[in-house]
Amino acid sequence: MDEKVPRSNIIETEIPMGTVHPAALEPYRVRFFVEDEIVQEAEITIGVNHRGIERIMEGLPVEKANALTEKICGICSNSHIWNSCRTAEMGLGIEIPERAKYIRVLMGELERLHSHFLYLAHGCEVLSHETFSMRIFYMREIVMELLAMVGGNRVQYGCSVLGGVRPRCDLDEAKLLRIKNDMDALEEGLTGFVERFLADSILMSRITGIGVLPQKQAIELAVTGPTLRATGVARDLRTTMFEYDDFDFNVITQPDGDVKSNLIMRALESFESIKLIRQAIANIPEGKVINRDWEMFDTDITESYIEVPRGTLYHSYALESGRVRHCIIRTPSMANIGAMQYACIGDQITDAQLCIVQCDPCFTCTDRAIEIVRR
Amino acid sequence: MGIKSFSRARAIHVMLVYTGGCNGCDIEIVNSILSPRFDAEQYKVFLTWNPREADVLVVTGPVTHLNRKPLEAIYEAIPNPKLVVAAGSCALMGGVYKNCYGDIPSEEIEGPVENIIPVAAKVPGCAVRPQDVLAGVVSLLPTLLDAD
Amino acid sequence: MFESTIINSVIAVVLTVLVCFIISTLLPGIERKYIHARIQQRIGPPVTSPGIMAPIKFMFKENVEVSSPVPGLYKALPIICFLVVLCVLIALTPEAYKIPALSSLVAIVGFLKVEEICYVLMGALSKSVMSVRMPFPDNVKGGAHLNATKSFVEDISSKRSLRMITYGSFPLYLALFAPVTAARSIFLSDIVSYQQIHGPFLFTISGAIAAIVFFIGYMIILNEYPFSIIKAKSDVIEGPYMEYAAKYRAVVVVTRGFFMFVLGAIFSVLFIGIPPTIFSWGILVNILVALIFVFMMGIFSAFSPVFTNRQLLPTILGTTLLGILAIVVGLL
Repeated sequence: MDEKVPRSNIIETEIPMGTVHPAALEPYRVRFFVEDEIVQEAEITIGVNHRGIERIMEGLPVEKANALTEKICGICSNSHIWNSCRTAEMGLGIEIPERAKYIRVLMGELERLHSHFLYLAHGCEVLSHETFSMRIFYMREIVMELLAMVGGNRVQYGCSVLGGVRPRCDLDEAKLLRIKNDMDALEEGLTGFVERFLADSILMSRITGIGVLPQKQAIELAVTGPTLRATGVARDLRTTMFEYDDFDFNVITQPDGDVKSNLIMRALESFESIKLIRQAIANIPEGKVINRDWEMFDTDITESYIEVPRGTLYHSYALESGRVRHCIIRTPSMANIGAMQYACIGDQITDAQLCIVQCDPCFTCTDRAIEIVRR
Repeated sequence: MGIKSFSRARAIHVMLVYTGGCNGCDIEIVNSILSPRFDAEQYKVFLTWNPREADVLVVTGPVTHLNRKPLEAIYEAIPNPKLVVAAGSCALMGGVYKNCYGDIPSEEIEGPVENIIPVAAKVPGCAVRPQDVLAGVVSLLPTLLDAD
Repeated sequence: MFESTIINSVIAVVLTVLVCFIISTLLPGIERKYIHARIQQRIGPPVTSPGIMAPIKFMFKENVEVSSPVPGLYKALPIICFLVVLCVLIALTPEAYKIPALSSLVAIVGFLKVEEICYVLMGALSKSVMSVRMPFPDNVKGGAHLNATKSFVEDISSKRSLRMITYGSFPLYLALFAPVTAARSIFLSDIVSYQQIHGPFLFTISGAIAAIVFFIGYMIILNEYPFSIIKAKSDVIEGPYMEYAAKYRAVVVVTRGFFMFVLGAIFSVLFIGIPPTIFSWGILVNILVALIFVFMMGIFSAFSPVFTNRQLLPTILGTTLLGILAIVVGLL
């Protein structure tokens, strides 16, 4: 007879998913510990797509490093380059022209729209609701076309540069008019979709009360961004950013912290983004889009926080003879991993991937940190 | 054209494997299949997530260390004839992550995809456009049709 | 004289099955192209692609060694499924009414049960690369629950199909037995002849309720989208069919379309009283019923997410009660 190995705890079985799985848009490994199809514990392993961007950035000229930050993430690429430029601008004391500030906000909000639309579409896809997923992807195409029009590429548009925005991204009357018209179309489409979505009782019963993240737990886990706001905490970094001083918008919150709250949260935030874009178009000032009148000098470590579609993004580096030193980037998904692991507990295994998706994961953003092993 | 080539031209099953790119290509490819705007199914290209069903494997990203073995395992699981499309500059040459310190190759990635599995078509772009992905998959047709 | 009758009957059955089979291969394409793609505002695949061209393509693929503890049984299961569906169709043809053991409702229920048990075995025997076999360093220092037993995603699917046998397919069987209350016989020949005298069972109160129950049961047994818990894309990917490649996958794909048609034929026999046979225009009714069912199923599945137990249990409970109501109304 074989020797019996005592189990330290009673876990019926483990179901690993990943690194390739239909519900995940990116490679990561997740192990679900289930009992009778109810998830008791989840363990997410990241580091699968670690490419060492910070290490590559180390010692590069700051302009090159800024362009490289775009490659951290294909969804919120503009946010990364924006924040990276902002860090250098804060360190070097560069004044940004008003028009450039407006264009940056406009691009940021367009990106928020495309990120939130992707979130909604992916959520519907994980719910296996192909029709709704396709409808959102169809609307998202409007935003992608606008981004391609302004930046010249559908995904990585490289809008911000040190001192402002690229002259190519300057907006003339025709482009502004097109953005304005498309925003009208988008608002109409999104309103129709949200009404249809909320009226669907099957879908509502499927997502209400699933993947609940209580407010107390969310604050303990230091969750950021829309995932935090969906639990009822009105914390949005945009209210403190100087770029948004001239803009008027509401911070949306939702009460429950479940999948329904999260989905509605994104939809309502998209309306706020449309509002912000309209304000930017209406009030955009005349003038230059780039300030080339600055000098490079060595700086201490400068830190910059901005609100990106998924939460709070942090960039910091020092400049040494025009090169980047001690670069640290902290992306919102890093904070939200705890929320993902917590949200699946107590739900069906079918809903488990949905609970991870509701926290808007972006593991490609997150996998950068390098570990120094001393030998 | 025999019945074999005829049927192959009318049902191509595509499987996607992301190996640690920046998500840009991944989402553009999903977009090309799920968005009604591009609608891969009208070109008889179907999305599948089961390697046993797939004909064409679309790989994005520079293959990171932890992604190498899963990629190989999935490639092994696909029944012949099978073809690989490397989509995006990371997949076809390592992108910004390869040779990042001048001439010294990066230690973080194993890619490009060619180093690990044989690649039949390369779709350039950073990020790839959905139109290009569809064109890449459809461009494999002659090779796929003649395979036995 | 006797031999010639048998030969004639066999020829009739073979021709009927052949015609039904050819039409059934079009059904998945019709669902995909004319329902799903139309609702989703896109062009969609050609009608022949999902049902006809895909199986032919799989036939020409090179066979692979399946990863399964019992490869022989695992490979045999789709063929068993196909034969079961074929037997159901043969039992429905009027020529088979001469063999009472085959052409009774009990036999049909038995065949359908075999089909369901096949799903359990398929799920239990499939060991796909997509979950545990994915090479990934899970058991490392600091990992949670290193001693836990690991399950493949197909194992969940297998457990779920067992659950579907116990209660999931209940509505379908209730609906099958509703016409018995009117015809007072479980033999198909009696049910058909009763309806040819008294008009279709569908147009009675009991029949109308039972038809709704039948439709829900039809979607459950076909594992179509709201009820597809055994092959939900969000967790078990393709469930029992994960490891089938090449010829076996071709059989799986063909069986699905054929099963759609045969269930439609069961409905037209039990509720309208028109058996599928090549020698009468009644076969057009069979085809029409199969098409209507596919259309309705396509519309339902395009507008609903996959169910979990929370939605599945009330739905099945409600449908079961409705089925009981149909039988009670029929008995009164």
